[in-house]
Amino acid sequence: MTQPAVQLTGIVKRFGELLANDHVDLTVARGEIHALMGENGAGKSTLMSILYGLLRPDAGTIALDGEPVVFDSAARAIAAGIGMVQQGFALFDSMPVVDNVIYGAEPTRRGLLDRRAATAAVSELVERHGLRLAPTDRVGDLPIGVRQQVEILKLLYRRARVLILDEPTAVLTPAETEQLFTVLRDLAADGHTVLLVTHKLHEVTAVSDTVTVLRDGKVTMTGPTSATGRAELASAMTGREVDLDRVYPAGQPGAEALTVTGLTVDGRAAGRPAVDDVSLSVRAGEIVGIAGVAGNGQTELVAAIAGLLPARGSVTVGERELSGLGVARRRAAGLAHIPEDRAEVGAAPGARLTDNLATGFHRRPPLLRKGFLRSGAMRTHAERIIERFGVRAPGPSAPMRTLSGGNQQKAILGRELTHEAPVLLVEQPTRGVDIGAVVGIHTELIAYRDAGHAVLLVSAELSEVLGLADRVLVMYEGRVVAEFPKTEADPHAIGLAMAGGAPRGVAGGTAEDSAGGAAGGVAGAAGGDEADVVGDATGHASENMAGDTAGDTTGDAAEDSGGGAA
Amino acid sequence: MNRLGRWRGALTVGVAVAAALVLGAILLAATGANPLEAAGAIVTGAFGPDGIQDTLAYAVPVAGMATALAIPLRAGLVNLGGEGQLVLGAISAVAVGLHVPGPLGLVAALVAGMLAGGLYAAAAALCETRLGVPLLVTTLLLSYPAMSLAAYLVRFPMRDQGSSLPQSAQLPPDVRLPALAGNGLTVGLFLIVAAVAVYAVVDARTPAGFEARVTGWGPRFAQYAGIDRPRTTLRLLACSGGLAGLVGAIVVLGFPYRFIDGALITPQYTWIGLLAALLAAASPLGTLVAALFFAALTSGGFAMERETQVPRELTAVLQAVLIIFLAATTGLLRRRRSAA
Amino acid sequence: MIDAALFSSALGALTPILLAALAGALCQRAGVFNISLEGTMLVGCFAGVAGSWYSGSVWVGVLTALLAGTAYSLILAVGTVTFAGDAIVLGVAVNLLAVGLTSFLIQTVFGTRGSFSDPTLPGLDPVEIPLLRDVPFLGEVLSGHSALVYVSWIAVPVLALVLYRLPVGLRLRGVGERPEAAASLGVAVDRYRYGVILAGGALCGLAGAQLALGNVTMFSENMTAGRGWIAVVAVMLGRALPWGVLAASVLFGLAEAFGFRLQGIGLPQQATDAAPYVVTLLALFVFSARLRSRRATRRTTVT
Repeated sequence: MTQPAVQLTGIVKRFGELLANDHVDLTVARGEIHALMGENGAGKSTLMSILYGLLRPDAGTIALDGEPVVFDSAARAIAAGIGMVQQGFALFDSMPVVDNVIYGAEPTRRGLLDRRAATAAVSELVERHGLRLAPTDRVGDLPIGVRQQVEILKLLYRRARVLILDEPTAVLTPAETEQLFTVLRDLAADGHTVLLVTHKLHEVTAVSDTVTVLRDGKVTMTGPTSATGRAELASAMTGREVDLDRVYPAGQPGAEALTVTGLTVDGRAAGRPAVDDVSLSVRAGEIVGIAGVAGNGQTELVAAIAGLLPARGSVTVGERELSGLGVARRRAAGLAHIPEDRAEVGAAPGARLTDNLATGFHRRPPLLRKGFLRSGAMRTHAERIIERFGVRAPGPSAPMRTLSGGNQQKAILGRELTHEAPVLLVEQPTRGVDIGAVVGIHTELIAYRDAGHAVLLVSAELSEVLGLADRVLVMYEGRVVAEFPKTEADPHAIGLAMAGGAPRGVAGGTAEDSAGGAAGGVAGAAGGDEADVVGDATGHASENMAGDTAGDTTGDAAEDSGGGAA
Repeated sequence: MNRLGRWRGALTVGVAVAAALVLGAILLAATGANPLEAAGAIVTGAFGPDGIQDTLAYAVPVAGMATALAIPLRAGLVNLGGEGQLVLGAISAVAVGLHVPGPLGLVAALVAGMLAGGLYAAAAALCETRLGVPLLVTTLLLSYPAMSLAAYLVRFPMRDQGSSLPQSAQLPPDVRLPALAGNGLTVGLFLIVAAVAVYAVVDARTPAGFEARVTGWGPRFAQYAGIDRPRTTLRLLACSGGLAGLVGAIVVLGFPYRFIDGALITPQYTWIGLLAALLAAASPLGTLVAALFFAALTSGGFAMERETQVPRELTAVLQAVLIIFLAATTGLLRRRRSAA
Repeated sequence: MIDAALFSSALGALTPILLAALAGALCQRAGVFNISLEGTMLVGCFAGVAGSWYSGSVWVGVLTALLAGTAYSLILAVGTVTFAGDAIVLGVAVNLLAVGLTSFLIQTVFGTRGSFSDPTLPGLDPVEIPLLRDVPFLGEVLSGHSALVYVSWIAVPVLALVLYRLPVGLRLRGVGERPEAAASLGVAVDRYRYGVILAGGALCGLAGAQLALGNVTMFSENMTAGRGWIAVVAVMLGRALPWGVLAASVLFGLAEAFGFRLQGIGLPQQATDAAPYVVTLLALFVFSARLRSRRATRRTTVT
């Protein structure tokens, strides 16, 4: 009766030379929410993939309710009552909720799909757990937070008793996160066991009963959450003291370098634009940070300024009007751009470092002479960037993909800074980058600003925006809803604005007005509870530093072997 | 790591070739022929003192088409309409050559072939960039009307009056490419060698070639870097079709100095060329080597048929089998690498 | 000019294309880009004629074509699914192999070159449908086709049923839309891909049988003459929907049959040969204008 719901003993998993899991023990009691913490590459995803049958351990055993089990496929784990919501979504956008939920376990009548029974079963689950969606909704039309609920429905439909959620909040707003936590607490009270994989301290303290911390594939700490301090968790996770909350001194802004007026980008669905009448300016020697929950138009805003998306409105760099120009002309007019998606947009992973670094410099001297590219000059150019920005690579001929996430980012950063363009657009500069490299990247950005360049920074990590920016703009649903100078940038007020708590159209107003109005507005409307949650979420944003785990080696490897069919 | 990869690559090619040879031997034995004798006939037929000329004669159109199709492939664009561009180039060259006399006619015919193929491929590119129909489809679909047009022209307006075959009149002696051998090998060989050389230099050493490669590495990276995709597509397709048209012109300006319906299609120059380009990932030298290899195999096949009565189509089978093995094993390599 | 005979001949002309396009649509739905329809159909043509000739029964011929198409498509299945080879390279190579192989076999098996036909070679007989036959106009259009024509008509609703009403169809569409999600729910992606490629091979085999034993009764080198490529385009035009593919195939069938008519009033055969391709291209222009606006809006969410 007191057997733990899940017991992993001595799990070892190797990927080539990398030891992803090094004799990991994990015990999870029935009906508890157990947080599994760790930085990128600590081995969390690998461990959960093993439990879910996507990977086979090199050594170690798994027991459910005291019974030893061996999973050679996800299907076996599902049959044993384990369900997993993986990072990112595993949903079919073109299909309705009900098809997504029953997929792989379809009810039939005389051999045909029994849609009526399926809809009834899904409706019942939706009602029982108080979810806000209809079974016939097309998944592609649902907001992100609701899609997360569809994922959970899938598990409940399969009668999963053990739910694994891998970084479920990465794409959620604070309010959606709290909604998710309510659902999870409810499920745990109902006798389900929840394993929550996360690297965010505040989530651990907000929702979990027990916490286990992994570092470099080993368990460094485990115990009840209530008896564990945040500092203790942080040092168990990082193994060192890193000053992540460093706030850099303000810059000395000069003339306006980038001016955006009335920029509007059409959205996916007809009606609501992705970027809605945004006006902003960035001065030379200034970093303007854009805060906001992912998916509120930041990506589209930068893409439109860079010329990658069609937009209405005006963009000027210096005196030059850019609207109507293509990417190349805009770059020539003085734009450089470090994009969010390193692997697909910012670089060619299969090509040599030399070629990646030469791109954009290949139509002018010194790389080009008398109409021909000089391979010697290309190599020197690459070596100079590698040296100057401390990119760790086997050599300039190494393919980009052989570099770690942090070094790829340093290479792209180096290439773009080398343009010495008056205006730099930077998106998520430290996402998926090791903590050690974060400070270096921040220092480079500050130095670039101090050299008299204008920087527009978009980041999902509030601490990053707060540390670097001279001015903070908040985007919500495609609009700039609040603006704060560095001295008045308060995480609490910014968090409220990110959650949509700022009154509309205050972009031009003073910071105090908007912050005060925002706080008052939400407190009045939603009560103090929600405001607290938001404050918690943003106040501890610094622990999110490790960011998204897209570049995480073990995670990648796990995905590869799991989805081998692709 | 890199050296290991290269070794594994070489090993893979070796295994694929060996597997194709074994399969070929089994097929040969099944027809009652002596596999060793047949293999000997293929080798001497391909590289022997007489055979080498046939190999070169066949290699001119195959290598030309392979290079033509490699040009857009470098940027990840597949031109499936090589046949139409080839035929259109050929018929245009004949049309001009029959009406413009003298050495000027020869040059005009070559230029006309290039223009016809180039413009036609450019039209396919515009259908993608302006009208949004995938290039793969526009090139393929435009290919058939071009072949039909040529078939119509040599049956009616341009027909050789003295013959019952669907073929054009013969070009006058001064509108012919000087022959290097009696089997149709002409100085067109040098034109193709020059085209391959130009492609190699442009690919490796010029901004335009660099931008094509960047586009091939990743279309979104290329767009981000400011490379204008529609313009790149148009340029590459125009070059591709232009070279295909030139190949067509070179073929009809050699023996038998006329356009014969189907003569450019039946030997499968285009598809073999495309496969050579695909296998070599459009690298200029690799494409040339693969094309030469396939040409040798084909001309060896003719010799084999003469000496052993085994149908020459067997070599076409061998070619395809070899390609299938190569594609499969390189896929395996790719899969291993991404998992490691 | 436009009469029952026109529509009747259109139905005959579109059947091989329809069968092959259904094969392509099935593969597309499971995320397999299959451009080997042309070659697989050609193998079906040859196997159908050979089976019919040696057994003396056209039905053995049809069965041989079906089995040969299935077996032949195994090359693509192993190459792309198990070995993760490039689908375009493999597709082109498989097509080339089919041309070489059938040209080789026609010599070793029948001892002739180019084409094989014989008055005693059994072909598919027209099937008169009782009742329907007597309806004016409709009877003339719809009755009196080979059995495979009717099979192709039945295949459309059957495919729609499988895709949208059976669990296997739901899983298959999921495999095509997002293979990693399907795998995470315990669906064996590779097995589904094998399944659709082999089933597609069977359909292409039938398409070949109809072409070589129904439309004509002979085998000639490269006799598919681009029909497999038209089928590839029909899949795109019909957005891989069973009824959409049918509509696209009907369009080609009409274009081809109408082309034959135009020959009657003095237009050269070559103009009519080109007609289906030109019509297809025009249809794609019209459809792509709509698709393009949709794609443009989708692009914003890709980033």
